[in-house]
Amino acid sequence: MSAADVANLFVSALLLAGVYAAMSVGMTIIYGVMKIVNLAHAGFLMLGAYFVFELYTRFSIDPLLGVLLGFPVFFLIGMGIHWLMIRRIPRSDQPTLASLLLLFGLWLVLQNLGYLIWGSSDRAILTPRTLSTFQFGPIVVPAVRLVVFGVAVASLAALEFVLRRTWFGRAVRALMQNSDAGRLAGVNVERTARVAFGVGIAFAGTAGGLLAMLYPFTPDFGGSFLLRAFVIIVLGGLESFAGVAIGAVILALVETFSILAIPAGYQPAIAFSLLVLALVVLPEGIAGLWNRRQRWT
Amino acid sequence: MNYGETSSGPFIRRFSSQAGFLLLLFLVAALPLAHPGPNVVRLVFITLVWIAASVGWNILGGFAGQVSFGFAVFFGVGAYATAISLNAGLGRASSLLLAACVAAAASVLISLPTFRLRGPYFAIATIGVSEATRVVMTNLQFTGGASGYRITEHGAFNQLLHYYVALAVAAIAVAVSILVRRSKLGLALIAIREDEDAASDLGVNPFRSKLLAHAIAAALTGAAGGVYTGYAAFIYPQGVFGFDISVAILLMPIIGGVGTLLGPVIGALVYGFVHEELMASFPQFHLLLYGALLILIILFEPGGVMGMFDKAVRFVRARSSGGSHP
Repeated sequence: MSAADVANLFVSALLLAGVYAAMSVGMTIIYGVMKIVNLAHAGFLMLGAYFVFELYTRFSIDPLLGVLLGFPVFFLIGMGIHWLMIRRIPRSDQPTLASLLLLFGLWLVLQNLGYLIWGSSDRAILTPRTLSTFQFGPIVVPAVRLVVFGVAVASLAALEFVLRRTWFGRAVRALMQNSDAGRLAGVNVERTARVAFGVGIAFAGTAGGLLAMLYPFTPDFGGSFLLRAFVIIVLGGLESFAGVAIGAVILALVETFSILAIPAGYQPAIAFSLLVLALVVLPEGIAGLWNRRQRWT
Repeated sequence: MNYGETSSGPFIRRFSSQAGFLLLLFLVAALPLAHPGPNVVRLVFITLVWIAASVGWNILGGFAGQVSFGFAVFFGVGAYATAISLNAGLGRASSLLLAACVAAAASVLISLPTFRLRGPYFAIATIGVSEATRVVMTNLQFTGGASGYRITEHGAFNQLLHYYVALAVAAIAVAVSILVRRSKLGLALIAIREDEDAASDLGVNPFRSKLLAHAIAAALTGAAGGVYTGYAAFIYPQGVFGFDISVAILLMPIIGGVGTLLGPVIGALVYGFVHEELMASFPQFHLLLYGALLILIILFEPGGVMGMFDKAVRFVRARSSGGSHP
């Protein structure tokens, strides 16, 4: 394998990591503020994909515009679901099985609604962009991957800005660090949680639309990405936004370069095995590893 | 999550004593005498398979409170172990026993790393284990990979033989569940479910108890998978290792009443019959229904069907005793 091949793989891994980060960040927000593992994330990834698909095929709205339109729609859906269900289960500082099973039920409902509406055949979004490529010296980059990467990184930057500069962002960060102290400092927990849930779902829908531009999809679309998102946030230490970026890069690199060593049929097992490995070996994420080393020295 | 145990009143407890189970056992055993036709026998057969798996899951998920999304692993391992040993010329009983042992061994392998995790983290790790197993089995050449594995039948197909094998396995599962619930292990599991740290302080070894519960549950589920395979005679990874099998085995005890003795049986009855009725006409609709049911159960009645039944009984009692509620 030549150096150009390695460089090509490396670039495609980094581009993949951008989408992976956008896909996982919604789970981190929801976990951080509410300590809820959002298993329904997969359902919203799927809905996001079909949302963009429907807009494109029915009204020929460009998928990129569709993704932007999806953000507020999914934000409202998320707030609605929080109001309807999430606020009714007991709040806790630890993830509870009740919340896990509730969101799992929601995933089943969304997935099978998808099957009822769209059937089980593969769909794909094909635009003139799909097949065009850019060439930088020896490195060839598909245009659609570059565009999707750009949108993902822009959305992450916008989120970072909101979290750093607004009252809502400060409230979110306060609740992630210490929910009791946040409450004492005057954060409205219920309302912050509702908005945070909306933002989390909005990111899921957006990421679903972005992934739909890269891969064909069915109503079962979200499942494998859900587990990937979970690997990423576990690697990132569950509650850190910088950790999400690191986790996304690690997973993308492992998946991309494993094609050199592992037969294609076994590829889907990589994320699943990595999930178990990350949960068991690195319960505090990569950052935890760093902290432990500092404690020893 | 509120488990049925605390909410089940004396009426339920009396009802769920062995007498009720024995009556049910006799009814199901006598059913073929009425010549109900092969379709009904098949339906009850499938329901019995589900009962064995559901009761097994409840030992770990209900008694010990360790919710697993990965029981398809044991169902599938049991299915493949049975198919391979039947083809190797082993008898039906010994193949099922072997299937149970292999499934229990698989559970130990899974327990060793995953029981270092608690509650929801364990639940999510089991999704990973289960999906990884399915991918590996899809690619394993030894068992035919994705195209599946066939049992070469010797002699004519005897539906009633399979029916009574399933009944025996389901009855054993219920009996094991009652024995575990009444044993020291059962008390340890419930203590772990309520508060793992407190249980550990009181001298319960949580890891060992959970390991044992997982192994027992896996053995019963593996036997259920084996019984199913003997009937189907053809299995493939997506069918027996599929995530929907894990989901089914998880949903039944929760619908029926998680942590109770009778609940998983009721849940399997509901699931078995509704599944068969809806599967033919609306293949996706039943999972939609179960998802909605799961949401409603978590939000409004964590005790499941048993909890609802219990509330109804208490309501009627309060009414008939002239409103003098204790």
